Amino acid sequence: MIRQNYIWAAVSGILSIVCVVYFVNRPGGRMAARILNYDTILQAYREHLLMVAVASLAAIVVSVSLGVLITRPFFRRGAPLVDNVVNIAQTVPSLAVLALFFIYLGRGFNTAIFALWLYALLPIMRNTSTGIQSISPDIIEAARGMGMNNRHILLRMELPLALPVIMAGVRTSVVITVGAATLASFIGAGGLGDLIITGLAVSRHTLVVAGGILSALLAILLDRILGNLEIYAQR
Amino acid sequence: MNRTRVFALLTLVALLAISGYGCGGQESDTTETTTEATTETTTEATTETTAEAKGPITVGSKEFTEQLILGQVTLLALEDKGFEVKDNTGLQGSDVVRGALTSGDIDLYWEYTGTAWISYLKHDTPITDSQECYDKVKEEDAANDLAWLDYAPLNNTYTIMMKQEKADDLGISSLSDLAAYLNKPDHEQIVFATNHEFSIRDDGLLGVYDTYGFEFDDVATMDSGITYDALKNGEVQAAMGFATDGRIKAFGFVNLTDDKHFFPAYNVAPVVRQEVLDKYPEIAEVLNPIAAELDDATMSDLNYQVDSEHQVPKDVAEKWLRENGLIE
Repeated sequence: MIRQNYIWAAVSGILSIVCVVYFVNRPGGRMAARILNYDTILQAYREHLLMVAVASLAAIVVSVSLGVLITRPFFRRGAPLVDNVVNIAQTVPSLAVLALFFIYLGRGFNTAIFALWLYALLPIMRNTSTGIQSISPDIIEAARGMGMNNRHILLRMELPLALPVIMAGVRTSVVITVGAATLASFIGAGGLGDLIITGLAVSRHTLVVAGGILSALLAILLDRILGNLEIYAQR
Repeated sequence: MNRTRVFALLTLVALLAISGYGCGGQESDTTETTTEATTETTTEATTETTAEAKGPITVGSKEFTEQLILGQVTLLALEDKGFEVKDNTGLQGSDVVRGALTSGDIDLYWEYTGTAWISYLKHDTPITDSQECYDKVKEEDAANDLAWLDYAPLNNTYTIMMKQEKADDLGISSLSDLAAYLNKPDHEQIVFATNHEFSIRDDGLLGVYDTYGFEFDDVATMDSGITYDALKNGEVQAAMGFATDGRIKAFGFVNLTDDKHFFPAYNVAPVVRQEVLDKYPEIAEVLNPIAAELDDATMSDLNYQVDSEHQVPKDVAEKWLRENGLIE
């Protein structure tokens, strides 16, 4: 499985490079060539990866904390509330979230990050709480019997045991974010979405295809790398 | 039957009823926002049982205000002359509307000569003269079985806008002034908001840079509709827009004069499928006089009524047609 993941990741990476080279050399017209050049494409990748990275990291920090919080006995009452809020945040379509945030927070990178972060919370939070809840109570009992206090139990038993499930959530979340980040172009945050949206605006389909393929390959690449991280976490 | 079965059956019946209603219902007042939702073709719902029933003519349009108004004007004018009409306005994006026309999902819509020249007829070099652009587009599109009716004087071409006060402060009223200002070593940051199309087209930002010899300090690319908002909120100091947009007046913007006449022609004209026009040549008689009345000032005003006074496009269209004696 590890090797399979590496192979898929490598294939996506190589295919991405091949596609970029192909599109740069055959843009299909002078207009498309304005965007299909190495500088612009690399810039788009940078913006896209930055958005995904910042939003995902921020999401991990907050949702793991929230996920832990809602499994604590003292928070039992508040748990459904947190769960519902995060649930609802996820059901609003990503374009609507981006648009709403633009209206109140203005254009650009920061607004997009905020919207993408919100969208990335649910999978990770859900998996954190499920992962922790699925730990057999006997193990916790045993740990308490060995003299561990609550903090030790959380940090040395619960989180490590739930880690594989949490990683699965992170994986899902990152893939979703790569897709949602293509929409950030609408509010001025750049990224690979620029290729797709500009291509649609001027009817140059090479751009649309390029943007779409490169985004998809990026999602596969990240998914497989995280897949291996997930497996390492299980050991 | 047990309760579960009854419930399942009721749900199934309800679903069938809903989908049946959706397919058969007339959609004369609602606007479509996706092409997939078109469930009717012009041949399917035609009920030509009487000799007088003409049509149905399906009218499409793009999604922005000016297009919606033009769509409603067309629907009302055709209806007034005895046509049965179908409203398929509000389709998202030039590509989608054009596709709907060529595939026969719609029969006509108003298109801009400049857009057809660049986007559909795939030419990279724009044309600045209105008549020349129209003639060439009309000639070439005939090969696609599409007929261009008379064009309107309105020229919804690109414009670069700034807030009136800011422009006055800096002494800028034309694009040459702007160029001079930005080429001064010690100038205030001017960030420019643009849409995706403008950022890449020959007749867009890059052409402006070439013709006037300057560059903005920074460029932010975003959706067409929100460039006005970005300028209004002060997030950028200059923005691109369209010359007949009602928001220019509403938000206190000024269009910087294109003193070197760089921006190309974007006159609007109805484009009709040739077979529909052959069958009903009177469509041209209905729409040509209307096109003649639509100049920049008139269109801006109609747009303003919808965008800033929040009136409904259909009402604005109807009022204007009546006032000008174009319908009863």
